[in-house]
Amino acid sequence: MSTNEHIDYKEQRLGYYKVLVGLLLLTTVTFIQPHMFLENYTFVTQLTIGAIKAWLILMYYMHMKGETLIGWTVAFAVSLVVVFFAIVITDVDSFQYKDDSHITSQPHIEVNYHHEATQHEASQHDVSHTTTHEK
Amino acid sequence: MSHEYVPEIAIDRDGKKHEVQGWQGDFYGGKLGFWLFMLTEVMMFGAMFLTLTYYYSLHHQDFIDASSHLNRLLGGTNTVVLLFSALTMGLGLLKMRTGDIKGAKLMIWATILLAIVFLGIKAVEWREEYTHGIFLGLDALQSGNEHSRPFGQILFYGMYFTMTGLHGFHIIIGIGLMLWLLKRINAGQVSTEHHILHFNIALYWDLVHLIWVFVFPYYYMIGAGNVH
Repeated sequence: MSTNEHIDYKEQRLGYYKVLVGLLLLTTVTFIQPHMFLENYTFVTQLTIGAIKAWLILMYYMHMKGETLIGWTVAFAVSLVVVFFAIVITDVDSFQYKDDSHITSQPHIEVNYHHEATQHEASQHDVSHTTTHEK
Repeated sequence: MSHEYVPEIAIDRDGKKHEVQGWQGDFYGGKLGFWLFMLTEVMMFGAMFLTLTYYYSLHHQDFIDASSHLNRLLGGTNTVVLLFSALTMGLGLLKMRTGDIKGAKLMIWATILLAIVFLGIKAVEWREEYTHGIFLGLDALQSGNEHSRPFGQILFYGMYFTMTGLHGFHIIIGIGLMLWLLKRINAGQVSTEHHILHFNIALYWDLVHLIWVFVFPYYYMIGAGNVH
């Protein structure tokens, strides 16, 4: 798209309205899906609907339709993100410190309390020990 | 090494050479540059979505339980508000390109108004969550006390406030950019012939909309079918 091309305002405006209707319909599907269909696949279904909406926004609102160079640039960058995702997901699947991590497992709070209590007792013992020595 | 002036030469479609006096009129270059900036935004939010997906795979049920407590009515309203703001922004650019400067300015003001509505709704939502004891720094989102939420929920809400907060920050930046755009239009520095600034700010606003298109289902909808 250049700055000096002829623009048919009414035709382009109609295009914007058509995309708006499409996005509104998809938003409606987003709301009814968890209660009406594919209830066990909500996460994947919701993201698929999101991807369709994103494609409409990219192509028509962000003027990507017909943009070859920028289109390939974006596709390449997004594919890098996808590869990055794939590597990280594969890596975390075999995370060797899973049991020790506070992210991958519930923190053992009672163990911490016990640890603190033991430390407290130890410090008390140290004080009494020192006091005995001083005597 | 020579330091003599070497002019930039551009060749037109007829093969004639011209010395370049400036790059201000380079519409395509301006657009490409802005796309490169937007890809850095995609990387930033992409990393957050990746983290979110990882946590979701670890604490599946906690995420669904936490998501089911979010206010879908307010989140959904904001989705529609952003959708219409993308339309007004697009129509504004269209009016600018066809020479209707007054109409373009009106559409930019409409977009600013919708952006403020979005922030207002988001503020109401956060306030509601705060009054229920769910906010960054409150006991419910800290481990190891009697009010603590399950660990997966703490992660969920931590990511929720971070990502919706960062998105809200982008909305505020967008409002600032639109006000600056109006100033430039009024000064005659953005016109039908030179509207790359308007074009790129419209792209920015669409990106903000695009991010919300994924934020909304990720946080509000994954627990929608969860029955208490």
